[in-house]
Amino acid sequence: MATMNFERSTLWEVNSRTIVYAAIGAALYGILLVAQVPIPGTTVSVRPAFALVPFFGYAFGPVVGFFTGLVGNAIGDQISGWGLLTSWNWSIANGLVGLIAGLAPLFLARWVNGNLRDRAIGGAVAGAIAVVIGFLFTFTDLIIQSGNTVGGVTTFYFTVIVADLIATIILVPILVYAWEPVKAQLGR
Amino acid sequence: MNIAPRYLGRGSWLARRDPRVLILVVVFFIFTVLQVWDARLVLLLLGLAVLYYWTGDIPWKDLRRNWTIVFVFIGLLVLVNLIISGGATADVRLADAHVFFYLPILGTPVSAESLSLAATLFLRYMAMATIGFPVAFCVAPNDFGIAFRRLGVPEKFAFGLDLTFRFLPSLAADFQTTVDAQRIRGFDWSAGARGLLGKVRRSGPVIVPTVVNAIAGAEDTIDAMDLRAFGTGKRSWLRKLEYDRTDWLVLLFFGGLLALTTIVGFMSSVLELWIPQFLIDLASR
Repeated sequence: MATMNFERSTLWEVNSRTIVYAAIGAALYGILLVAQVPIPGTTVSVRPAFALVPFFGYAFGPVVGFFTGLVGNAIGDQISGWGLLTSWNWSIANGLVGLIAGLAPLFLARWVNGNLRDRAIGGAVAGAIAVVIGFLFTFTDLIIQSGNTVGGVTTFYFTVIVADLIATIILVPILVYAWEPVKAQLGR
Repeated sequence: MNIAPRYLGRGSWLARRDPRVLILVVVFFIFTVLQVWDARLVLLLLGLAVLYYWTGDIPWKDLRRNWTIVFVFIGLLVLVNLIISGGATADVRLADAHVFFYLPILGTPVSAESLSLAATLFLRYMAMATIGFPVAFCVAPNDFGIAFRRLGVPEKFAFGLDLTFRFLPSLAADFQTTVDAQRIRGFDWSAGARGLLGKVRRSGPVIVPTVVNAIAGAEDTIDAMDLRAFGTGKRSWLRKLEYDRTDWLVLLFFGGLLALTTIVGFMSSVLELWIPQFLIDLASR
């Protein structure tokens, strides 16, 4: 499986490479969640590690992206002691972000197949779209926690996507710029 | 830096259970709690969750910080909902609510109904968090892969989960090495940056080498898996899982509780939001 330049037929392929990249992405996301930058005046933090979710999706495909977000977030919760399954719908939302970013070849083909600069911009755009759409899944809190108000869930949705958009837009292009030459060097 | 999950409940009654039991109990219990809105019944469920948690022998001193985070997080969640609900609930309009007072500056009404809802929400979240903790501390990390496989997760994904846990210590060590290497070069990512965006950008020189190094180093693992014909046939697992009689009893109890709650919820209104009479009296004065 080539990275970044996907064929439609290989987009959903699951082989040893997919599994290993997915496991590395999830483990890194879980580990790097220790680094957080608080937004002044709020209790929300920007998590630079979040950029790994759209990056792994964009670079290695929707399956890797979904696994990185889903399992990485659950592992982060597990490490912090919150429990692997307690916030399962938020883990799925993270997974959806990776999955949607991984579908970039279908909706951002011009950027994905362009030069390095285009691919880096494409990563940021795909990541941003994925964050906005993927986290809509957190509105399931309205069903799961039916005492939650639309306003309450919306407030959390917006604070989380603003924080995650900051991490995505800044770090995904940097990761693409760093990874592409290494990828070429590795012959992939 | 200790980043790996902590197996604090080792040897306890809960840790001796089949790991699938702990996972299924969380699922059963969460769906039970979600149907109950009467704070008195939620309190009973919270008591049950505490009893279950207690059998995990998880030392309190090791989890003080975790519980503080849970209290703050849940408290904030409930507070935001209390403010945004504006004194009403799903079943009681503001015009019919018993308003206590209006919050200064925001002018949001706080009523007997919205306070009861907030207290119930708090108890529900606490019950769910309490039942979730043992999964974090009473399941051996290397049991998750096989546990999810036996629960029906596809083989490759279950293996991926297992692999994720195996990668944690080595990748955490690589991360620490990168942080140290950058410090030796005079770069401290946790200090010196101005503004939010500057701080996020400053994490790049630590995160990027860790990530690229990990991906580039994955080739050895991929080759090893390919050489062992990964994914070509049915995989065997070293660890065997079998429910014993106690496991079945625990599952039966929590599964029965879920079934009972679902039936009662359909047949009567005893699970609906309870507003204590003294709160209504207090608001009416």
